Amino acid sequence: MASCHEVNEDAEIYKKENKILLMGNPNVGKSVFFSDMTGIHVISSNYAGTTVTYTEGTVKLGDQNYTLIDVPGTYSLEATSEAEAVAVRFMNSNPVAVICVLDATNLERNIKLGLEIQKFNIPIVYALNLVDVAKRHGYEINAGLLSKELGAPVIPTVAVKGEGIKDLKEALQKVLSQPKNICGSCASCPGCKENEMDVWDRAKEIAAKVQKQVNGELSFLDKLGSSMLKPWPGIPIALLVIILSIGVIVGFGKVLQDGILLPLVDGIIVPFFRKLFSLVIPEGVLLNVLIGEYGIFVIGFEWIITLILPYVFLFYVVFSFLEDSGILPRLSVLFDNIMRKFGVQGGSMITILMGYGCAVPAIIGSRTATTKKERLIIASVICFAVPCISQTGALISLFANFSPLLLVLMFLLSFAVMMTVSGILGRVLKGKVDPLVIEIPNLLMPNAKAYGKKLMLRMKNFLVDAEVPMLFSILVAALLKETGLLNYIAVYLEPIVSGWLGLPKEAVIALILGIIRREMAVAPLLEIEGLTALQAFVGGTVALLYLPCLSVFGILTKEFNSKVALAIACSTVINALLVAGLINQIAHMII
Amino acid sequence: MKKSKISSETTQSIYYAEDNTQCIITDTPDYSILKSLGIVKNASVKKVFTHKLGGPVLVRVGSREIAIGKDIAVRIMVGGK
Repeated sequence: MASCHEVNEDAEIYKKENKILLMGNPNVGKSVFFSDMTGIHVISSNYAGTTVTYTEGTVKLGDQNYTLIDVPGTYSLEATSEAEAVAVRFMNSNPVAVICVLDATNLERNIKLGLEIQKFNIPIVYALNLVDVAKRHGYEINAGLLSKELGAPVIPTVAVKGEGIKDLKEALQKVLSQPKNICGSCASCPGCKENEMDVWDRAKEIAAKVQKQVNGELSFLDKLGSSMLKPWPGIPIALLVIILSIGVIVGFGKVLQDGILLPLVDGIIVPFFRKLFSLVIPEGVLLNVLIGEYGIFVIGFEWIITLILPYVFLFYVVFSFLEDSGILPRLSVLFDNIMRKFGVQGGSMITILMGYGCAVPAIIGSRTATTKKERLIIASVICFAVPCISQTGALISLFANFSPLLLVLMFLLSFAVMMTVSGILGRVLKGKVDPLVIEIPNLLMPNAKAYGKKLMLRMKNFLVDAEVPMLFSILVAALLKETGLLNYIAVYLEPIVSGWLGLPKEAVIALILGIIRREMAVAPLLEIEGLTALQAFVGGTVALLYLPCLSVFGILTKEFNSKVALAIACSTVINALLVAGLINQIAHMII
Repeated sequence: MKKSKISSETTQSIYYAEDNTQCIITDTPDYSILKSLGIVKNASVKKVFTHKLGGPVLVRVGSREIAIGKDIAVRIMVGGK
């Protein structure tokens, strides 16, 4: 496996002085500690594997600055996976201290990792996180005793609420100011006993000693969380969640679009620029490029602000909630049996759902897949048939002029292609897909602050990453259309566009712009007058199945290689033209 | 799907073990992730539920629930407690 491609790390980071490592099992809240301590916001979610590579930030303790590193979560330091290998490399890079986050709801396993970390003889402070959840499950942990057993400070925390962070910083400062050889006197240090004992046995022993059964009362969410794991009532709840999510995105998106953004853009912004430019610039090509039908200042606002933005925003409102609440891993469990039939496992579902937002983070997120074959299948499925939210937004607007039924049909078509692609690749590709093994996180109400920050970060990333290619494609559209260049190109593509696909020749713009960004394969269709329902559907199909945008091509090259990127690009284009053309031809035969 | 009662003498796959019973693991396939999650020999775990149609099995270790795909789960052997 070409694991060296998978984590983009900077060798310099290992050489940095004054490093403090933040370590622990997956999904114990390391990223939340990181955000709280550094003020840098990293995306944290309620499932294992959000941090697939490290993040660094600065934390000030007293008057000394330290580099805090959010190390990917690991269950052990045996270097059996890429994340573990990264963790081991960090442990060997001479850090000044380690903050080891322990999950109070699963102490034994977490202590085991702590003991493994202690073997490196680096000053350590434990954060005993999720103490509130443990209590509800009927476990109370004696932090003082645990500290004695481990021979290091243990601070009880509830990271999502910010409880205990201050104490943690103080404890950290204390161990940092102590002389380094705390482990010199091994005889008296209980933390060193594990040198003779198996870490698992020692962890078991400690956990048994410090844990006390109390009368916990499971909250409503705890019970709901457990019941969601079984088909009844899990599947009805899951379907309700999915329908509700789509409803919120499509429904509120439409309201935002028609109620606020459209009047704002068409009523105020565009007329303002029309007036402004027609005063200054004489009539001609330049004026048309700026404010003509396809002018930069016309479609630039119409497409980006009204067509795409409301849906992108609402998608992340919904998706971030699903992520933080712990619903997604439950969906993975419920649908694992179906996913398995198509050559992947339930865990891939989270990554594919992420692709409905944007393919780029989804392809990066596919690193959590344990085999290369699985990664390739996930990435291909996303590229072939998962529309990103910008494109979905454009499709919603396109089909709104006809019937919502077309949108439903389009999604059914998308599922059919997804299943075909993963079914074929599952059989053709060499290698294997590991079965699902996941730890189910607690179901919880997202923390408002963390949720808000994450949403802002995602919107900022979208605006920064998408803005340039969007503006670029708008510029290309304006030049093609307003200079008349389009008519020259259209001649060559006419047999495909008009003959095979049955689309008007202006649709050529969609095919060209679709290379740059996915929604731009749809947006030009909205400008064509007199489009029939069939043409809209065929155009939508081409756009849906067409090659992913330039950014996706870039990320495929980076995460896999240029051969994979090219293979995906070519096969998606052929598939798109083939399927859409067949739909058109068959529909004509019937009608 | 075959299903049989757990008794202290016999061992069987956790996949087919009776729902909601505490059991002791007698053998597991060699996957590091299982080991890390506490699915190790002699560990006491609760078999919660097996999903139909080749779905995963739910196991409770401590207060955490873990889902294990069929292909691995059928190879985890358990005995009565």
